[in-house]
Amino acid sequence: MIHSLFLINSAGDIFLEKHWKSVVGRSVCDYFFEAQEKAGEPENVPPVISTPHHYLINIFRDRIFFVSVIQTEVPPLFVIEFLHRVAETFQDYFGECSESTIKDNVVIVYELLEEMLDNGFPLATESNILKELIKPPTILRSMVNTITGSSNVGATLPTGQLSTIPWRRAGVKYTNNEAYFDAIEEIDAIIDKSGSTVCAEIQGVIDACVKLTGMPDLTLSFMNPRLLDDVSFHPCVRFKRWESERVLSFIPPDGSFRLMSYHVSAQNLVAIPIYVKQNISFFESGSSGRLDITLGPKQTMGKQVEGLTVTMHMPKVLLSVNLTATQGTHKFDPVTKVLVWDIGKLNPQKLPNLKGSLSVQSGAPKPEENPTLNIDFKIQQLAISGLKVSRLDMYGEKYKPFKGVKYITKAGRFQVRT
Amino acid sequence: MPYLSSEETVKELKRALSNPNIQSDRLRYRNYILRVIRSMTQGLDVSALFMDMVKASATVDIVQKKLVYLYMCTYASLKPDLALLAINTLRKDCADPNPMVRGLALRNMCNFRMPGMTEYIHQPILMGLKDKASYVRRVAVLGCAKMHSLQPTAEIDAAIVNELYGLLRDPDPVVMVNCLRALEEILRHEGGVVINKPIAHHLLNRLKELDSWAQSEVLTFLLRYKPRSEDELFDILSLLDALLHSSHAPVMAATLRLFLQLAAAHPAVQVDALEQARGPLLATCGSQSREMRFAGLCHVQQVLRSQPAQFGVHFKRFFCGYSEPAYIKFRKMEILVELVNDENVGLVLEELKGYCTDVSPDLAQAAIAAIGRIGRTYSEKCLDILTGLLGLKQEHITSAVMQSFRDLVWLCPQSTAAVCQAVEACEESLQDTEGKQALLWLLGMHGDQISSAPYMLESHIDGLKTEMSSVVKLELLTATVRLFLQRPAEMQDMLGRLLHYCIEEENDMNVRDRALFCYRLLGCGVEETRRVFQGPKSDPCMGVLTGRPQEPVNNWASWFNTLGPLCGDDVALPASCDTAASAQPAQSSQGDVLAGAVEEPLSIPEMGHQPLGLSLGPPLSHEAFERHWLELDVTHREPISFQGPPSSPETLQAALQLVKIQTLAFSRENVTPWKAYLYSHGSGTLILAELLQDGPAEGDGSGSLAVSLKQVPKNDTVIQEFASVLRTVLQTLTEDVS
Repeated sequence: MIHSLFLINSAGDIFLEKHWKSVVGRSVCDYFFEAQEKAGEPENVPPVISTPHHYLINIFRDRIFFVSVIQTEVPPLFVIEFLHRVAETFQDYFGECSESTIKDNVVIVYELLEEMLDNGFPLATESNILKELIKPPTILRSMVNTITGSSNVGATLPTGQLSTIPWRRAGVKYTNNEAYFDAIEEIDAIIDKSGSTVCAEIQGVIDACVKLTGMPDLTLSFMNPRLLDDVSFHPCVRFKRWESERVLSFIPPDGSFRLMSYHVSAQNLVAIPIYVKQNISFFESGSSGRLDITLGPKQTMGKQVEGLTVTMHMPKVLLSVNLTATQGTHKFDPVTKVLVWDIGKLNPQKLPNLKGSLSVQSGAPKPEENPTLNIDFKIQQLAISGLKVSRLDMYGEKYKPFKGVKYITKAGRFQVRT
Repeated sequence: MPYLSSEETVKELKRALSNPNIQSDRLRYRNYILRVIRSMTQGLDVSALFMDMVKASATVDIVQKKLVYLYMCTYASLKPDLALLAINTLRKDCADPNPMVRGLALRNMCNFRMPGMTEYIHQPILMGLKDKASYVRRVAVLGCAKMHSLQPTAEIDAAIVNELYGLLRDPDPVVMVNCLRALEEILRHEGGVVINKPIAHHLLNRLKELDSWAQSEVLTFLLRYKPRSEDELFDILSLLDALLHSSHAPVMAATLRLFLQLAAAHPAVQVDALEQARGPLLATCGSQSREMRFAGLCHVQQVLRSQPAQFGVHFKRFFCGYSEPAYIKFRKMEILVELVNDENVGLVLEELKGYCTDVSPDLAQAAIAAIGRIGRTYSEKCLDILTGLLGLKQEHITSAVMQSFRDLVWLCPQSTAAVCQAVEACEESLQDTEGKQALLWLLGMHGDQISSAPYMLESHIDGLKTEMSSVVKLELLTATVRLFLQRPAEMQDMLGRLLHYCIEEENDMNVRDRALFCYRLLGCGVEETRRVFQGPKSDPCMGVLTGRPQEPVNNWASWFNTLGPLCGDDVALPASCDTAASAQPAQSSQGDVLAGAVEEPLSIPEMGHQPLGLSLGPPLSHEAFERHWLELDVTHREPISFQGPPSSPETLQAALQLVKIQTLAFSRENVTPWKAYLYSHGSGTLILAELLQDGPAEGDGSGSLAVSLKQVPKNDTVIQEFASVLRTVLQTLTEDVS
């Protein structure tokens, strides 16, 4: 299925290759480089490139291209998701997925790739099973290893595959039994010039970290489950019970996992937590323009908006800016023409404002299009969709676990057009 | 790290590896092995160290073993004689008490890609198939496939194949899936693994135990199985139902594909499955990863081929975000064009208009092309936007607008007047080939309505010396001759200059031959030239006007969830954003005059063949139709049995266009009473018709359609023939439906 994998950095160097069947020459990447050159920006490289003898399916993540070589017909979604899984595993193991960490841990990377695929077929990809096969590097362990000379390879086979439930290993034991759930929601929205919503949707996930002894059977119920559409679950969730009773009933995997993801797309249900008043104009004559942006809270349910950042890709003809902000810091990069205004916390009493003049290359025509504002923010203790967990029950085990639910709302692709 | 040439590095490593002091210090030894691997991954040839590495494999340290195996697999094919030395160690490891070591050794032994390996691995693999640890069995099963690929020409070992079929019942799900994978490879020349009824049901029952990768693969294997009976089919479908909502997009897509294929004979089930999968598909389109989003969009595009209405309400999901990569934006625009309906057209156009001023010229042009395509159904609104864009005086925009104008005029003749006005007002001079061609085609075809056309052509003729592209020159010749036929007085001098230049000074043979051809043709007389050059001004088969008819699901179901739809290599090219439909005018405008010449004489006898010369033009306005309808009496009435209204009125409209009957208005689908108004010209008379279906169709779907005809001036034979034409069309459609 997957013949070979090449990792290529954005400068176009192949810094790692792995072949599961016969060796495919590096020259196959020339087709990729050709496409990369044609695309200009690294983001614009099309994910599927066909060459006379192979298909190249690639993903671009953390400034690295994961290019897989395919020789037979495969379901594309399958390969794309697998490549993302590889990247996620690296991230999981090394804390970040970058060229330098991969090069530093090249041995573990090879071990992982060897276990994840055999003869081109996915073998073990669940993080908790992999971690039993190959222990992740930690500072402590690498010190211990250096002193004692022991290795980071588990000497026994993962037990998970022997239990009747493939995602959970048998005989789990903890002294502190705890189950934590994070409801994370991201708002994707496009707001138009006049402040009305062009489109908005919420993408939510519930990530769980469950450390419970034995074989617990959990039931999680919501105050308002009808809210959610397009739900998808971890394989452990019993779909029939969700359909009939709208509760999540499951035997959890051990450790961290994504319990479910969902969308809320009905527009009237999507609350927009902040508003933007902006006025950006370029004068017809003379080489200057004005900018005036104010942000304020809209529907925040009384919670504080934090980590507020505004990023604008200014027109190419803009030379410099002369702006003053009432709050936070702003920075304009004259090379990339990106203006970043880092605000921080939003104070409803004193709204942050950025104001001043823009100077444009003299003689250049007035830019046709005003820049789009990309806004980033975070709201703690709030799921903007109104989702609330009502209770969590545990069956099958005697002890009482610690339970906790945390809510957080973030901006996803949140844009304001001007 | 100091710079060392590869040879020096190899020498240094060799010295270190053979140093007994280092060999005795496990940590230092392993570090040197690590350095070997690192050089290997950087593309350095370290095969010279093979001997030393083989020695290093005799160790209890698993990590070191893994590293050495990795090394050996890479270089075994280069040093087959030395690799044989390593085999002994590996075979010993295959009997190790630790299953991890057994599996590791077996896997790596199978990965040695060198001839003659088979005899050494045959025995360990057979042992591995019976191992008690599932980890080893998994490796051994895939080892069978690897062994076969080492000797692809050898006879297939029936014993192993039987063994593998037997292992499909293995308690470990991964072993089961690996068996399928291995059998598929071994039996490739015999058509892959055979899925019979017991195997199919066994797989279906175990689907739940598998991880998502295996699920998706097993679902693909199941595509081969054809259920024997309806009951069995529906049993299978109900088993698969839950998987349509899987959180893994690959599983969802594979399930949907299987659904569509299994239910090929049950369109209602297919529709239902698509309905259910809509949510997950849309979720994929909004996924975090842009590659997933792209794949999701490509799949939505396929579903749209059959069900454009299904995603209509979700059109906002397909608006482009600022930071999205170009390949996603192109797909989204294509989808938006397909989704347009009466309710959302305003918003979609407003959105697309925003993209027209995008920084990237390719994107801007694609957006304009998209507006042009929507214009085929909603011409007025789109013409306003396109004309407005000309005011920006940006070259790439003007060029794209001209191309859209050309396609619009070709497909919707009613927009001609507005386009001509806009072209006349446009002062921008175009530089790119595509845009120039479009403008010249418009000037040639509709120069009679553009008063400044001769001057615009003149500037091109004057600039001929600097023109590089020969296609533009060919188009210019065609356009000039066409305009000359319409406005001889103004054009004569210009045409003379152009022909003179092209015949005397042009180097391109194609252009010169074309000029000579025009010259000789003009010598044959004006009428002859007109017959050759003046083709139809709009698409003679107006089917495209009504948008793409809905395709049956089965047309694309076999392509669903494959690579095909994703790697349409023209994705990145805005020019080919248009489908085949618009390629048509482009072709004919590239102006093969010869093709035009062939086309014309052909279509004339065709008209002659029709006993009744029905024709479309001159167009009749709604008001005129209404006036005539009220004034006239019904001259002919008859019921026609018809299973109607047709699945889509658009199909009917397209069909009627073919026999030169124009549809003026019709009610929407599934509305009762259903009505349509038609008209046509024949033998100097105007025929008006009303189709009316009262009440719902009877149970079996066959209903009847009341046809009333009115005519001015009266001519009985014509009306009889018109009625018979209409009858034939409706009956043909009924047969198509049933």
